[in-house]
Amino acid sequence: MSELEKLKSELNSLGKEYAKIKTLPPEERKDFGIKLNQKKEDLLQKIQQAEAAEQSKNIEPIDITAPSAPNEQIPEFKNGSKHPLMTELDRVCDIYSRMGFNVMEARTIDDEFNMFEALNFPEGHPARDGYDTFRTAEGFIPPAHTSTMQHRALKKYKKDLENGGQIAVVIPGRVYRNEDVDATHEHTFYQCEGIFVSKDATMGQMLGVLKNFFETYYGQELNIRTQPGYFPFTEPSLEFMIEKPKSLGGKGDGWLEMLGCGMIHPNVLKMAGIDPAKYKGFAWGGGIDRLVMLRYGLTDVRYFESGKLEFLKEF
Amino acid sequence: MRISLNEIKKYVSIPESVSTEDLIKLIGSRLVEVEEAIDLAPKYKNAYIVKVAECEPIEGTHLHRCAIEIGDCEYENSDLSGCGGGAAEPIGAAPATAGGRNHCPTNGDSRSCKVQVVCGAPNVRKGMLAVWLAPGAIVPQTYGNENFKLGVRKLQGYESNGMLAGLDELDLGDDHSGIVEIDPSMDFPGTTRNVQPGDSFADVFELNDIILDIENKSLTHRPDTFGLIGFAREVAGILGINFAEGLVSSKIADMSISGSIFLRENTIGRAPATAGGPTGARDDITQAGDGKISIKIEDAKLCPRYSCAVIEMKDATEKEKYLTPGVVFLAKAGMRTIDKIVDITNILMLQTGQPLHAFDYDKFIKVGNTKSPKVTVRLAKENEELQLLDGKTIKCTTDDILIASNDVPVALAGAMGGASTEIDASTTKIFLESATFSLYNLRKTQMYHGIFSEAITRFTKGQPAGQTVPVLNEAIERLGGELIETADSYPGKQKSEVINLTTHDINSLLGTNYKTSEIVKTLANVGINDTNTAADLSFCVPYWRTDLHIKEDIIEEVGRLNGYDNIPKTLPIRPFIGAKEDEMLKLKKQIRSILSDNLGAHEVLTYTFVNKKLQKLVGEDTKDSYEIINSISPDLQALRQSLTPSLLEKIYLNQKAGYKDFTLYEMNQVTKKSLGFTEDKVPNVEHHLALATTHDYYYAKALLENLAKSLHLNIAVKEFKSGPAYFEPLHSAEIILNGQTIGYLGEIRMGVQSGLKLPLTSAFEINLAFLLDINNHHIAMPRLSKYPSSERDLTLKVPADLAYESLKDAIVNTLDNQDNLIYTITPASIYQKEKSTKNISFKLSFASTKKTLESAEISAIMEEVINSTAAFHASVV
Repeated sequence: MSELEKLKSELNSLGKEYAKIKTLPPEERKDFGIKLNQKKEDLLQKIQQAEAAEQSKNIEPIDITAPSAPNEQIPEFKNGSKHPLMTELDRVCDIYSRMGFNVMEARTIDDEFNMFEALNFPEGHPARDGYDTFRTAEGFIPPAHTSTMQHRALKKYKKDLENGGQIAVVIPGRVYRNEDVDATHEHTFYQCEGIFVSKDATMGQMLGVLKNFFETYYGQELNIRTQPGYFPFTEPSLEFMIEKPKSLGGKGDGWLEMLGCGMIHPNVLKMAGIDPAKYKGFAWGGGIDRLVMLRYGLTDVRYFESGKLEFLKEF
Repeated sequence: MRISLNEIKKYVSIPESVSTEDLIKLIGSRLVEVEEAIDLAPKYKNAYIVKVAECEPIEGTHLHRCAIEIGDCEYENSDLSGCGGGAAEPIGAAPATAGGRNHCPTNGDSRSCKVQVVCGAPNVRKGMLAVWLAPGAIVPQTYGNENFKLGVRKLQGYESNGMLAGLDELDLGDDHSGIVEIDPSMDFPGTTRNVQPGDSFADVFELNDIILDIENKSLTHRPDTFGLIGFAREVAGILGINFAEGLVSSKIADMSISGSIFLRENTIGRAPATAGGPTGARDDITQAGDGKISIKIEDAKLCPRYSCAVIEMKDATEKEKYLTPGVVFLAKAGMRTIDKIVDITNILMLQTGQPLHAFDYDKFIKVGNTKSPKVTVRLAKENEELQLLDGKTIKCTTDDILIASNDVPVALAGAMGGASTEIDASTTKIFLESATFSLYNLRKTQMYHGIFSEAITRFTKGQPAGQTVPVLNEAIERLGGELIETADSYPGKQKSEVINLTTHDINSLLGTNYKTSEIVKTLANVGINDTNTAADLSFCVPYWRTDLHIKEDIIEEVGRLNGYDNIPKTLPIRPFIGAKEDEMLKLKKQIRSILSDNLGAHEVLTYTFVNKKLQKLVGEDTKDSYEIINSISPDLQALRQSLTPSLLEKIYLNQKAGYKDFTLYEMNQVTKKSLGFTEDKVPNVEHHLALATTHDYYYAKALLENLAKSLHLNIAVKEFKSGPAYFEPLHSAEIILNGQTIGYLGEIRMGVQSGLKLPLTSAFEINLAFLLDINNHHIAMPRLSKYPSSERDLTLKVPADLAYESLKDAIVNTLDNQDNLIYTITPASIYQKEKSTKNISFKLSFASTKKTLESAEISAIMEEVINSTAAFHASVV
């Protein structure tokens, strides 16, 4: 008799056991019934397992380590890839989004007003030369930084302020500098701008927000450091650095320069029709290319816009 | 800009508790990024002051065999240790047995200890003090590059130990005419004794120093820090030390020009220091002469102040016989010694930030044909010519400011003097200019004429008018000639500014809790004083701080000088309002996920700019593109109108690299003139998706359809009537969504394929804005049946030119009219054997929502289906 047959006959014999219930004193019947039911459950489960084993009896073993069954074609799947800059930009925006920042995309061509005037660069000021801007015959400018969007963003979300809220927005975008390309310089790269305006924004809050962002981004607590900077559109202006994160091989010593930031200059608020006596804000902007290069240990920025599959397939 | 820490220490006493490393860190975190801190000490190790005791010419050569007194210097020479004859061989002493040390007796008369050096310099002579680079020294000129290490070698049969160094070899100048000579009457710093053989060269000339390399761009807004005094003031401020503006020259009056000379009162016609001028310096000009100099400034904006002096000087171009601390001072700042007058003005510029220019007085009035100087400061006329000091003749623009003598140009203001008034050996009087000019004009001059001198670098930051006279007064002192006449024209009088604000203003912007007294002290340290008026805080802006105008400027100073890193970090409190997603970014993310994760495509990013050649090749109208006028390369000539041409270039590149069967796509913005402008007058942009694949039309179409399906978009294709010229019209289609053409799909035109050396390539490009329209989204309610479905195959023989879609539409129409019917229709195959006909096969499946369909019912439906295709001359196969 096979194991399965044994189990089945055992199950059959349970019928007799059930019949015994009637012969028992009423107070014992409940306990007896529970035990019997349990026994039946166990038997049924064992029978199911035995049946499954029976069915699999004729299955031939395969080489689970082989790439295919004998005489069959090796399966081929084509994998696509996302551009690492776009993946990173999505991650960055995602984190800011979760922190409560709206996201709006920067535009690829802009004008002198948004690039300089609206950002409190006096006309003819040498700081304008520092950006090595491209220009079209009509005087338009492929933006040299995402700050070009500040004025627009402030105007767009101004009504949120007037309704008692705040302006919180990040703006990713492509930016351009007229310079020669080498392993560490590209004329085309990506930045992400951030703006926060409220009645009581402080520099302490700015440092807190940025620290929090990078801690979320790198998944660890980080020390931060700053350095005085100069941008006509923020006052005070800072360069923001973080401790080299562990995931990048940091051992608590090195520092990474991450972005420029500062309290929005009252003239910039004024230009957008926001009263600097009532509202204060902070803004920052940093490169995305560098984040990707750090993450993957890339040393040549030229890969990003190369369109080379040998590079893209790695992502 | 190069800043010497030793110089800074002359103005600020750095507390002992602050190490050099700490100081550099503090400067980095509270003033400006330090690109590099260069330690000079190792560069001048093993360089000593020596006396040439004997000097004999070597017959038949230009060389001299010298015996030098090296005092009790203990030069280190580890490399030579142990190798016989390696160490410097003292003359008249026991031969060296173990190298690496000077074996001269240090207990006895060290002057008797001599070392032999062979020297080729024409000026080497007995008795002079020179600089000896001992064996083991690296020639400073080569330090950090080839690191040429000196040893002991034979020259013309004579052993030569190390070398006697020239100015160039010491990396302190360009002069190669002879060896450096040291003034024997010079004091050893900090003592009253004279320098002597064996003294360390670095100790005597303060070369045990750290040089901070600062990017000029980082201090664009701080003209005051372009002078050592201004930089030192900041260092005091960040250390919380009061900068002793009053620490005046009396204490150090006798120091040489490299010393820590502050702007000091002029000894002629003493006047009390006034609030507007630098402390300890006069801001009114020394009165001299009979007022014959006339200064005419065309526009106060071009030149807020022009001060000048005429000085009699017969030795203006004289070169110092000895190496002076001034030469070393200049070298540390990256400048070179020229002659007496240029050195003095350059040193003053490095100390104060104020450039000066000296004209030959006689030439100046001769050029203008006047009896006394008649200065005009004016804009140049278009193409007005001027020969500069470097010999070049420039053609001016109308932005250039000229200094003219009776309207004859003699200098390009702030940039360079003219050749006609150059100082030379025959000069007996100089006309010294100390002025300030419009930084905007000078910026244009700098860029247009390509002049990047230390002087114009400072002028273009906007040097304050308040300092022209004090610096001129100091220059007069240092030059030491006889002062003949002075003049000062100050039409652009700097207004003294007062900034009122409250302690709350400061703390509420920074998020700090500074006490009023702390704030007042922080700012007083750098000369920004609270005037104690009725306002909470009322700061008087010192004349050198041309960057302070508004409250926030003061707040920045408080935060910065106390350290931004000390500000407590907090987070803003926000209401629970969901952040808005950017619809376009969301769509792009979705598309990226579908194409890359499901459809095997690779995302690329290519440049926004393209070569016009490419545009022409693919048949785009180059005139419709915005053109970049200052591009660095022809590949960046025009803003692109579409993405596909860029992708085609990348298809070529990758197939050349050996890749086959691949798909690339990009999502980016495009623009062209015909798109017009936005409300705020900037060019409209479109967000496009383009995809290119090394396959035929149907592959690209399948990708597009899969994408559309995943996005719940009901797209269709229709005949390609017009569209981008790079599509092969008969193998291309317009992509339709809700009746609108949203893009194009097709094989790339043969001519373009061959022009770009492409394999068979297909592409599509769509305007993503259409996809955002919520009305275009079609999410069908799934219709499900609990009754089984039945399948039927249908093959129809139709004319070869019949469009698949028309046949399918007819069938779909028929099926849509059936009651309670759920169906699917799937293409099975398209088979063509003859030229005139083709067989199209479908798989159909049917189910009813009400019951199980019987065979007869299905046959009836099939009958209707077949009838509906009769109009196409279809027959069932």
